[in-house]
Amino acid sequence: MSELIEISKGQTKNILLLNKSVDLLVNQYDDSQLNLHVFCLDDSSAEINIQVRQLGRGCSAKINALVLACGKQEVGIHTNVVHEVGDGISEQLLKFVLADESKGNFRGDLKIAKDAQKVSARQTNRNIVLSDKAKMRTMPQLEIYADDVKASHGASTGQLDEQALFYMQQRGLSVGTARKLLLKAFASEVMEQLDVAEHDSIEQLIEQRLARMAI
Amino acid sequence: MLEIKNLHASINGKEILKGVNLSVHAGEVHAIMGPNGAGKSTLSAVLTGNPAYEVTSGEVWFKGKNLLEMPPEQRAREGIFLSFQYPVEIPGVSMVNFMRAAVNEKRAYEGKEPLSATEFLKYMREKKSIVELDNKLTNRSVNEGFSGGEKKRNEIFQMAMLQPSLSILDETDSGLDIDSLRIVAEGVNKLKTPQTASIVITHYQRLLDYIVPDFVHVLADGQIVKTGDKTLALELEKHGYEMVVKQ
Ligand SMILES: Nc1ncnc2c1ncn2[C@@H]1O[C@H](COP(=O)(O)OP(=O)(O)OP(=O)(O)O)[C@@H](O)[C@H]1O
Ligand SMILES: [Mg+2]
Repeated sequence: MSELIEISKGQTKNILLLNKSVDLLVNQYDDSQLNLHVFCLDDSSAEINIQVRQLGRGCSAKINALVLACGKQEVGIHTNVVHEVGDGISEQLLKFVLADESKGNFRGDLKIAKDAQKVSARQTNRNIVLSDKAKMRTMPQLEIYADDVKASHGASTGQLDEQALFYMQQRGLSVGTARKLLLKAFASEVMEQLDVAEHDSIEQLIEQRLARMAI
Repeated sequence: MLEIKNLHASINGKEILKGVNLSVHAGEVHAIMGPNGAGKSTLSAVLTGNPAYEVTSGEVWFKGKNLLEMPPEQRAREGIFLSFQYPVEIPGVSMVNFMRAAVNEKRAYEGKEPLSATEFLKYMREKKSIVELDNKLTNRSVNEGFSGGEKKRNEIFQMAMLQPSLSILDETDSGLDIDSLRIVAEGVNKLKTPQTASIVITHYQRLLDYIVPDFVHVLADGQIVKTGDKTLALELEKHGYEMVVKQ
């Protein structure tokens, strides 16, 4: 059973999920806003299920996720965003960094119903795999039934930029420090979306995590 | 300082360096010229330990140590600096953080304490003035969106920050306007001491008007085919490479 969260008309809800499995169903009513952050920054494997249903007009949903996995950790994120009515916005940015033999899984269902015109929906999934044994699986599923909408999705999985790494080593940085700086840059896009209040403590956790992963 | 003996290197199985020999002593400036594709950048990549290249035979000694056994960062900390022909853009990594890490890791290697934040900023200000680097550039990500000339100037700023004993300047003059060329070349000259040496890779005499070489080498098809003094560069400018490459 999913935990139900309802965001009533005109309300804003900020949710920060740190290092845990969850199963959420969020119902949004007119002009409400959801800002959801997911961080997986410790060793625990997690299954994260997030359903968002925009039931009223003029809603905005932002979902940001950063996963830093290592060892034999497995992290799965499944988002399911449904625009039942028009004028809504959804923006998803999900980033995974996978080291060692860790596994990442992202499934993103995005549905725009037939009468949900003027919806703007974006889903972006970017991943960096640091070892041959780490595996990322990405499955975007778009179902768009309305015609006057803006919907985009992009997914990519790659490695750290070899040329940037060499450039940094040429300046005397150890491989570990170079990787850490590049990974912090990769994470910063997710951090930019975060409220000031939590910013510093999360940044510290990222720092500690990267010190372990980027060697 | 640097001793290259019969160096052979290849990339993707294709041999590019076919027996390079070169000795560089402290206090010297060596210019390397030569046709496009001759292997000049390959030589700089091999000396700095770029993993894309494979050394198939030969030896390189730097200050009495076997250079080819060191990882790239150790070569850098030992004092080898490369001003890249194509500096790399690193979005999201600020110049300040990058340089702080570079300076402090080098200091740690030398057994020195890291610079404090204030000391570092003061040090950086000092070095920026050597090449008149715009303040705005150091607040941005490494080389990201820098113009061609700004990137080259930023390379020499980094050289000033790291104070290498051997600097390899790979076409640092390309992309620089007339005034920038003078400022950057004068910057390089200011960094010169009796304990340092430079290898200057260039296609044009005009850089060598400022940075006057003790030796000029012509690298063609993976080998140094001719060595002379600074007048060789003037001759090459007049007659092209045919005079040396043909024979
Ligand atoms: N990845 C690669 N695979 C195959 N050949 C390569 C690769 N990279 C470089 N080369 C070749 O190696 C040769 C030497 O290149 P290099 O960049 O060292 O030349 P250069 O002397 O610096 O030339 P320029 O004056 O144009 O800068 C060239 O023929 C180039 O095409
Ligand atoms: Mg070149």
